[in-house]
Amino acid sequence: MLRRLVALAAAGALLIGAPATAQIGSHKDAAKSGFTFPAAGPVKILVFRPDVQVGSQTAGGMNEPNADWTATARKQLTEALARAQQARSNELVMMPELEGEQGALLNDYRSLFRAVASAVIQHKLFVGNRLPTKKAEFNWTLGPGASKLAEIGGGDYGLFIFSNDSYGSAGRKAVQMVGFLFGVPVQVGVHTGYAGLVDLHTGELVWINADMRMGGDVREADGADKRIRELLNGFPARAGAAPPPTQASAAK
Amino acid sequence: MTGRGRLAAALLAAACVSFAAAGPARAADSKPRLQALEPGAPPPWTPGYQPLDKDEKGLWMEADEAERTLKASNFVVHDEALNAYIRSVLCRTVGDDRCHAARIYVIRTPFMNASMAPNGMMQVWTGLLLRVRDEAQLAAVLGHEFGHFEHRDTLRLFRDLKSKTSAMAWLSFLPYGVGLIAQFAVIGGAFEFNRDMERDADIEGLRFMTRGGYSPRAAPTVWTQFRAEQDATAVARQQKSRKDRNGGFFATHPNSAERVQYLTHAAQGIPNPPTRFGETEYRAAMASWWAPLIDDQIKLNDFGGTEFLLQSLAGGTWTPELLYARGELYRARGAPGDFDKAAGFYRQALDLGSTLPELRRGLGLALIRAGNAEDGRKAIKDYLAMKPDAVDSKMMAMLAGGE
Repeated sequence: MLRRLVALAAAGALLIGAPATAQIGSHKDAAKSGFTFPAAGPVKILVFRPDVQVGSQTAGGMNEPNADWTATARKQLTEALARAQQARSNELVMMPELEGEQGALLNDYRSLFRAVASAVIQHKLFVGNRLPTKKAEFNWTLGPGASKLAEIGGGDYGLFIFSNDSYGSAGRKAVQMVGFLFGVPVQVGVHTGYAGLVDLHTGELVWINADMRMGGDVREADGADKRIRELLNGFPARAGAAPPPTQASAAK
Repeated sequence: MTGRGRLAAALLAAACVSFAAAGPARAADSKPRLQALEPGAPPPWTPGYQPLDKDEKGLWMEADEAERTLKASNFVVHDEALNAYIRSVLCRTVGDDRCHAARIYVIRTPFMNASMAPNGMMQVWTGLLLRVRDEAQLAAVLGHEFGHFEHRDTLRLFRDLKSKTSAMAWLSFLPYGVGLIAQFAVIGGAFEFNRDMERDADIEGLRFMTRGGYSPRAAPTVWTQFRAEQDATAVARQQKSRKDRNGGFFATHPNSAERVQYLTHAAQGIPNPPTRFGETEYRAAMASWWAPLIDDQIKLNDFGGTEFLLQSLAGGTWTPELLYARGELYRARGAPGDFDKAAGFYRQALDLGSTLPELRRGLGLALIRAGNAEDGRKAIKDYLAMKPDAVDSKMMAMLAGGE
């Protein structure tokens, strides 16, 4: 990676002073039209190990990975997720650690979900790069093979969660302040995340939500609750039920 | 699901220091250029070693995450004999006390590289295994990677980058382009730091392999071979060879010509050097892998480089497997005359007594394309008779006339 690390770090630091990209609508969710959970009966959701990374942002804009923060955040987010789903009367099943062939299969589907989710985020959720053929409908799928995940872990739906934080260091904030004096915008901190729900019987993606500027300090329980609330924005409700309270779309 | 290129990029993104790539030439000697990191700290191969501070813990965490993914990757080669062999070469090179700290992953990808992450995750790409000719050359590469690990180079680079990119952020406020020029100087410094680290790792690899009883002369040969292959690729593509064009100012590794020069110089300076190359052992260990790895290489659409590799592997003695590979290479290119040449190579292999069913398939397809459809169909029927459950049997039956 060194080659990429050096190049990325150099490019990142050079970018200070370039005009900040316009953040038109930094978060957005979408769901398969008309999708709801059944009105009664259990809804079992299989949760995959949350993909979490927490670090601090150096003065030059590099991310400095922090092992302790990351471990804490993964624990806090998992607990906050359990609390949130309990409130919705959904049952959570954690996907166990897998080895061998099953581990490889899970790895394949994690990668496939990442690829599909990034296509949705890039070509559906945000303005600028939308595909004409995907404008009206919401139809993405991991394929029927995804049902193998249900056989291994149990559950009707699969929930993937990604969260990436880089907290601005004192040095970064100082650079921002000096930048302010010169009229140069400098962004402090990176807080992005996305989550997606897959119907494990059909492989269809039924809901996705992405946020480029997330709130909530994932290193603390309260913050993790807030982060999960934001990550589950627009999460499907039970048929006939009023949609659960979510933040208003333009609230940020 | 993912293409080879995507995989290569993803693997490179994992926290490791890699082996290949290059930069501008500079006079070199065999002394380490960089200060040791925290003298007195235990080396990372010490049993039970744990990362020492926040930076190192963070880098280990990233490497551990990358390893979770890599472990379950479909590109990992699980052949126990091959893995055991590579481990034995590493242990012989760096010593039994050190080698246990490395977890080796053989990765199926046709490019030449190897890498080492700070947590001991070592990747050896099959494209490297296809290119090195003997155990000593492999030892030079494994020793280089282990040198990065022993000296915690990822951490050193991380700290260097952190301070340099912070300096760049401040410099960006200097007016009238002064800041920009100063920033470029800092970027140049960061890449130079990386190149110095690579030089040190090359020399460390040389020390390891010599101590392990391998001839140090093999180390520069890795690079002379690679440069010759780049020349062969360029000739076939009618381009200028890329062997000396490797990023210049932005190069992460020293230029390969420079590496040949200083490795040769350093190897000559070793008194009573060991003479073991281990060519026979290497060939034996790789015997069952030549065919699939050459197949990967052929799909790179690099006719000149592949022909060069086949010639080098043959060394004047064309085995049926190499003849088959050469036939496949010519048949895949399909330039005027290539189908006749390909048919010739398949026939030579058959004359040597090979019973490989695919020889008949290749011969049949080449003959059909060369205009000799009747003999071609017959050869394909022979293939189907020898391998009735082949994955491509239906398509081949259609080509053979379906009788």
